[in-house]
Amino acid sequence: MSEVIGVIGAGGKARPDSAAESDVILELRHVTKRFPGVVANDDVSLSVRRGEIFALLGENGAGKSTLASMVFGMYEPDEGQLFVRGTETRITSPAEAVALNIGMVHQHFKLVSNYTVAENIVLGDEPLRRVAGVLPWLDMRGAEQRIADLSARYGLEVDPCAVIENLGVSAQQRVEILKMLYRDSEILIFDEPTAMLTPQEIEHLLNIMRNLRREGKTVILITHKLDEIKQVATRCAVLARGKLVDVLEVADTTTAKLAAKMVGYDLALTIEKKSAALDNAPTVLQVDHLTVEDDNKFPVVNDVSFRVRAGEIFAVAGVAGNGQTQLADAIAGLAAVKSGAISLDGVDLTQMTVRQRARAGIAYIPEDRHGMGLILDLPLLQNLGLKSYFHHPFSQRGILQTEAFEHHARRLIDDYDIRAGQGPRTLTRQMSGGNQQKAIVAREVELDSRLLIFVQPTRGLDIGATMAIRRRILDQRDSGKAILLISLELDEVLALADTIGVMYGGRMQKIAPAATMDRYQVGEYMMGARASTSASASTSTNASISPNTPATSAAPATSAAPEASAAPAEVQAGTGTQQG
Amino acid sequence: MNTIIIDGLSFALPLLIIAIGGIYSERSGITNLALEGLLGFGAFSGGLFVAATAGVFAPTSQVPLYLSFLVAAGGGALFSILHAVLCIKFRADQVISGVVVNIVSIALTGFFTSTINAAVFGQASNKFMLSTSPRLTIPLISKIPLLGAVFTNFYPFEVIILVLVALCWYLLYRTRYGLHLRAAGDNPQALDAAGIDVARVRFKAVLMSGALSGVGGMCFAYSISTNFSPAIYFGSGYLAIAALIFGNWKIMPTFAACLIFGFARSAAYQLVLALNADASVADLAMITPYVITLLLLAFFAKTNRSPRALGELYDKSKR
Repeated sequence: MSEVIGVIGAGGKARPDSAAESDVILELRHVTKRFPGVVANDDVSLSVRRGEIFALLGENGAGKSTLASMVFGMYEPDEGQLFVRGTETRITSPAEAVALNIGMVHQHFKLVSNYTVAENIVLGDEPLRRVAGVLPWLDMRGAEQRIADLSARYGLEVDPCAVIENLGVSAQQRVEILKMLYRDSEILIFDEPTAMLTPQEIEHLLNIMRNLRREGKTVILITHKLDEIKQVATRCAVLARGKLVDVLEVADTTTAKLAAKMVGYDLALTIEKKSAALDNAPTVLQVDHLTVEDDNKFPVVNDVSFRVRAGEIFAVAGVAGNGQTQLADAIAGLAAVKSGAISLDGVDLTQMTVRQRARAGIAYIPEDRHGMGLILDLPLLQNLGLKSYFHHPFSQRGILQTEAFEHHARRLIDDYDIRAGQGPRTLTRQMSGGNQQKAIVAREVELDSRLLIFVQPTRGLDIGATMAIRRRILDQRDSGKAILLISLELDEVLALADTIGVMYGGRMQKIAPAATMDRYQVGEYMMGARASTSASASTSTNASISPNTPATSAAPATSAAPEASAAPAEVQAGTGTQQG
Repeated sequence: MNTIIIDGLSFALPLLIIAIGGIYSERSGITNLALEGLLGFGAFSGGLFVAATAGVFAPTSQVPLYLSFLVAAGGGALFSILHAVLCIKFRADQVISGVVVNIVSIALTGFFTSTINAAVFGQASNKFMLSTSPRLTIPLISKIPLLGAVFTNFYPFEVIILVLVALCWYLLYRTRYGLHLRAAGDNPQALDAAGIDVARVRFKAVLMSGALSGVGGMCFAYSISTNFSPAIYFGSGYLAIAALIFGNWKIMPTFAACLIFGFARSAAYQLVLALNADASVADLAMITPYVITLLLLAFFAKTNRSPRALGELYDKSKR
């Protein structure tokens, strides 16, 4: 076994000489962690220096979250040692990690929804005062003051008295950061922190990380987004299939090189996309003044109008929870329409059932692939027949024809490169997420529908599967299908869209050809920063709700982020593709 | 009118303390349908204590009366360990566990009352006789029209309950434990991440619900029948659950709900008396609180929000 020092230098570079820089705060030596059936971390050795932003890069399942979880005491390593500030340490619980001034922002926030920011932050470490000299009483006012001070010092902009459920994702994340700061954490671990944020919010977060570093904190950033690493990290460890591939000085490398290290081979991150000729294309889907209400009579989709033409990808961008899912459900027939109309090829669908709509020509790849897309405990062949089991050749005189299912499944497995251990009979639950999604896409594409609705089609998939699905979407467009794509991943929208619609608060804020919008403009509409009537760059297509004002296209308000453009453009398609 | 207020309060306050027991359990995330069984077991414990110590205290002494509430609290807490262990340690379905606790409570207390009566006191009876609780009236204030009824002819336990309610409010909303308890019912993962043992917090909360229910059950034993008998299981535990749901799992609104139930019940009773109706009509009239429960729940259930993690098994590894 090589010395740890050798591993640090594995990138082929000499260690920096400066004593301050090589002040190691955290060190892992030969750490291995196994879960039933997988080796999540295999003999990983690395060290993190005080005051740096250290990135852990890798695909889904590469073992980066497991590694960080061990540092935070959620798991214990099966083999290997952990050194904190030079001392070998066993961290058996998050509480012990906190005692060692290690904090972590999880992907799923651990916040009590009906508590205030301050109550959440003090939880487990509450300040008390004594009423009448004896009675212990929570001292929230003192805590609120301290939190407000911390918030101001690090530029977090959090109101300690706000109630969590009234805050957005980004603010909740900043509460998690405050939680760590309140406990004087010195090592701050961020697990995929930008997965749910808009570009502007990501900028804010990266700035906060810079502030943390400036104040002497050490940040460990788990991510698969290369441009973020390029922007803030000092060094980057690349993990693949549980093994440490390399540790690189970020300043000396490129995102393309990082990507190659991550997947193990040079990956074409761009997708060839022919521009669509839409001028004479017939309208396939027409949505007019559609309003959908939720259980509380709140209009989650509010007076939305747009159309999707044959051979067009209409991509809906937006932060989660702004009505996109309900819009897709309403078109597919899964949500009741309050008012407005939906028509396909001129035929009004508004009163039709789900199956009638499917037969009229709508294919639907839902967001929740486990809950709505598949029946996990059925074999693959039945899942592939879910939309067609009731007619010939799958069903004859009311009796299911197993042969037909099997034959159909074999063909789809070949055509769509679905990897299933036991062929058509594989239990769907045992397949990987990427192959499950490929199965859904195969089933829906095979329906040969006029319109395909894709909701979050690549969520949680690795780069390989993501690229395969995106190519499939483009193939469908090129063969003249109308595509409605709903995605929370702005990179995906920008990579695929012919036309972009941005939803905010249930309204379609903006509809414009993809070529006329950049990511920051889309980001502003995603946050509702611009009214739907201002600065419309579209003059011709699709703008049924925005008046055709001339293209004024003011400079993006957040162009104060020059690093954002530092990442090579060709990487953009592939860098933000996964969520864990 | 005064009778309605006096009887209403003497019903509403024990109901409230049982409901607060339920609030403790449910705000910590443990569904508690076992209130009925817990209050019964608490009353059984208190009744047994009074019967067993009959010769120890002077016949006119009030000491056994007050001690019986303590014993009832202990008995309720002891019995609630069954629910806590089933739900927290063995991760049983909390609804089923609650129902089991109720059934076991009825069977056990009935069996033990008869057996102990036969073996120790040498008489065949399924009751433990209690002394009659004194009733207090505050001079002067009680003469105020209408409002004075509140201070007239009340049971000492009503004062005890009001003190307990204040303590419970303080514990739930102004102490570390209360903050942990309410967090456990909304997001146990968050509490765990903060280094607090969720199972422990919940266990204590269920014990608390047992103790408070036991006190409530003992109050009913004194006010309704002056004895402990299986008649203690008349559904007040379920009514308390309705009250706490209607009260949105908060102490003050639940207080209001209990008052409504209490006054509805005593008013119905007075109505029956005034009409001089026969027994079958009286039984019908006595369902008033339950009819009101149904109506209120139908209207308010939608706007109320139960604790987010209520009834969910807490799995440390779930992230």
